[in-house]
Amino acid sequence: MLLNDYKAAALFDELVDEKGKIRPYYQGVADRLAGLSPEELSQKIRSLELLFLKQGITFTVYGDDRGTERVFPFDPFPRVVPAHEWEHIEAGLIQRITALNLFLYDVYHEQRIIKDGIIPTEVIHGAAHYRPEFVGVSVPKDAYIHVCGTDLIRDRDGRYLVLEDNGRCPSGVSYVLENRTAMKRVFPHLFGGGVRAVDTYPSDLLATLRHVAPHENPNPNVVLLTPGVHNSAYFEHSFLARQMSIEIVEGRDLIALDGFVYMRTTRGLRQVDVIYRRIDDDFLDPQVFRKDSCLGVPGLVDAVRRGNVALANAIGTGVADDKVTYAYVPDMIRYYLCQEPILDQVPTYLAWRPDDMKYILANLPQLVVKAANESGGYGMLIGPMATKAQIEEFRAKVVAHPRNYIAQPVVNFSQHPTLVDGQLEGRHVDLRPFVLWGDSVKVLPGGLTRVALKKGSIVVNSSQGGGSKDTWVLAH
Amino acid sequence: MEGTMMLSRVADHLYWMSRQMERAENLARLVRVSEEMLLDDETLGRGSAQEYWTPVLTATAMEASFRTLYPRPVQGAAARYLTLDQRNPDSIVSCICQARENARSVRDKISDEMWSELNALYMLVTSREGADLLERSPQSFYDKVITSSMLFDGITEATLTRDEGWNFLQLGRLLERADMTSRFLDIRSQAPAEADAAVEPLQWGAILRACSAHACYRRQFGGEITIERVVDLLLFSNEFPRSVRHCLRRADEILHDISGTPTGRYSNACEKITGALLAKLSFAGPPEVMARGLHAYIDDLQKQLNTAGQTIFETYVLLPGEVSRHFPRGSRPDTFSDWQREQQQQQQQQ
Repeated sequence: MLLNDYKAAALFDELVDEKGKIRPYYQGVADRLAGLSPEELSQKIRSLELLFLKQGITFTVYGDDRGTERVFPFDPFPRVVPAHEWEHIEAGLIQRITALNLFLYDVYHEQRIIKDGIIPTEVIHGAAHYRPEFVGVSVPKDAYIHVCGTDLIRDRDGRYLVLEDNGRCPSGVSYVLENRTAMKRVFPHLFGGGVRAVDTYPSDLLATLRHVAPHENPNPNVVLLTPGVHNSAYFEHSFLARQMSIEIVEGRDLIALDGFVYMRTTRGLRQVDVIYRRIDDDFLDPQVFRKDSCLGVPGLVDAVRRGNVALANAIGTGVADDKVTYAYVPDMIRYYLCQEPILDQVPTYLAWRPDDMKYILANLPQLVVKAANESGGYGMLIGPMATKAQIEEFRAKVVAHPRNYIAQPVVNFSQHPTLVDGQLEGRHVDLRPFVLWGDSVKVLPGGLTRVALKKGSIVVNSSQGGGSKDTWVLAH
Repeated sequence: MEGTMMLSRVADHLYWMSRQMERAENLARLVRVSEEMLLDDETLGRGSAQEYWTPVLTATAMEASFRTLYPRPVQGAAARYLTLDQRNPDSIVSCICQARENARSVRDKISDEMWSELNALYMLVTSREGADLLERSPQSFYDKVITSSMLFDGITEATLTRDEGWNFLQLGRLLERADMTSRFLDIRSQAPAEADAAVEPLQWGAILRACSAHACYRRQFGGEITIERVVDLLLFSNEFPRSVRHCLRRADEILHDISGTPTGRYSNACEKITGALLAKLSFAGPPEVMARGLHAYIDDLQKQLNTAGQTIFETYVLLPGEVSRHFPRGSRPDTFSDWQREQQQQQQQQ
């Protein structure tokens, strides 16, 4: 029923091929979905969203006077990734996080990659999240990015491209787990077997965190540091802490004394060994970074420097997910690993290169322009959809701060059938898999598929009208 | 000890979560019974509605803020101010919002069922439906708040592990209940002196109903309502669960359970305060209250209850012994601008 009316667009469609035939790995779920009427589906979705609201599975939207809590809209049609595609993605992500961690070690030690002329020194020093204070400081196991959320999109030919690496505090993994729980509860009959489980993530994350405990402590006290209840990802922080059975702390719960960090309990102070921090570098320690931070812990950075407490992710990883650095990741892979990149990425023009600048200024209406250090879909221009005034505004910005801007051709994200007003319509999707860098490297088989619910939109961020769907990685 | 310790902030959130729920419930009890009384009063054609609310606002320490916001209050303004006005930090809706905010901060420490009940109440009182319900049927609205709070209490009792968190949660509820029961008793003292003596038993009856104490009173004293007996029941009863003495005795036991000290001794400042207060209530009765004057007696009592709450905070949350050398005297670690913290919390995302 639903599927009969579904129209594939002139770009890559996840469900149907160019001849309009359902791809073989979607056949099972498509058949099972066909047994549901649109009314049944919509009714189930409504009850599901009410359930999310009641359970407080919400995120907070900024800009409102009081942060409004909303449910992340959920779409019932799961995205299916066949085993052979996943193998390719997994290998590519492992290669990428390996190169990024080697790069970060290098940047904060010998800086060979600069000396060998692979990356210009201005790229590193111009990155807003580069922390020169940390050059020469060692971190446990030389691990910088412990948790990485890499955004992937698919071009017209279905090729997976890396859009960006989120190597600071990537969020969204709680939705991966909650979406799966919800699917199993509300649509159990859609599962035909062979979907890989995602529920080991919290224990894998805990193992990753314990792995970097200072002084090889076999029984470390691991905590999650949250900015607090007003943060949009607070639900996720609390969810992960509960799943890992660790304390969720705010800055005011911690005290740094003589190079060690303690938490304040009703029984006095207790030492903290590993901090899974979900706040940015800038706010970690008012003695070192932003002086006005209410969220941080004075003296924390000193304890990190002395090696008495480990942070995940480490301080300074932002230099690796800077959008200018991004353009150099393929070169990093060749340089450190002597391999060709497994995953392609989007061609990127750097405004600080004179030739690229000329090209950008001449082609603004066709390009996507992004601020080098922003995330969450903020600070971005989508040329083909922008007004003249917006384009001129960005032109001025790019000219004024060339190091801060990059431009990319508009990549037509793949589309996926999505339930809109009782009909299945194609909507653009991306995919954020999560990678853990611990004793071994683990890629969570699945990830957050975000969907742009507005017709034609390619902005999938939850803060800007995105939704999500369950992501099924098939075992065979 | 390892297994029972908890973050001081978590203890604080649990304490305030239950305290604010209890406050919302008691305010609902107070407004419900006052509205009932008002109906009687107006049919009798006595006094103006505004004067009628003054003692309630004064006893709950909201009179000044009400006068500022409503220099010339209209019909129903007072009840609305006590109930749904978010500008009033102590209104029923504000208490529920704060209780939920605290619960959200300790979401991993309370049961899913506790969260669902509190969150459902929050969604109701902040929604259009909630406002409509209050408009259409105030009694149903207040009933809903009271029932939900009692349900929350029952769910807590049935689902929460008996660890330190449970103890702090109980402390908050008990201290708030003791405080609110004493405020109920104070309402009569706030009424103008020329108030009609004929309605006095009616008002004491209403206060008993507000505390769910009328059945207990009748069993103990029969039908005639006198001020001494009401005071005896609501301040000094050892058995009635909303009496000040009963709440204090349980709070004192809980404090001793937290520190591991036998009752009757004290190991810290909070146990000393609750112990002294409990002794005072155990060796006194209505004659002492009447001699001192009801209002003055209750005023003393509330000051001591405040000190008890403050001392619990200093002992278990601030940890003055270990922390004072890191925070200059007078600057509590949480005197930062809440607004600034809120803004910064929002800025973190990827």
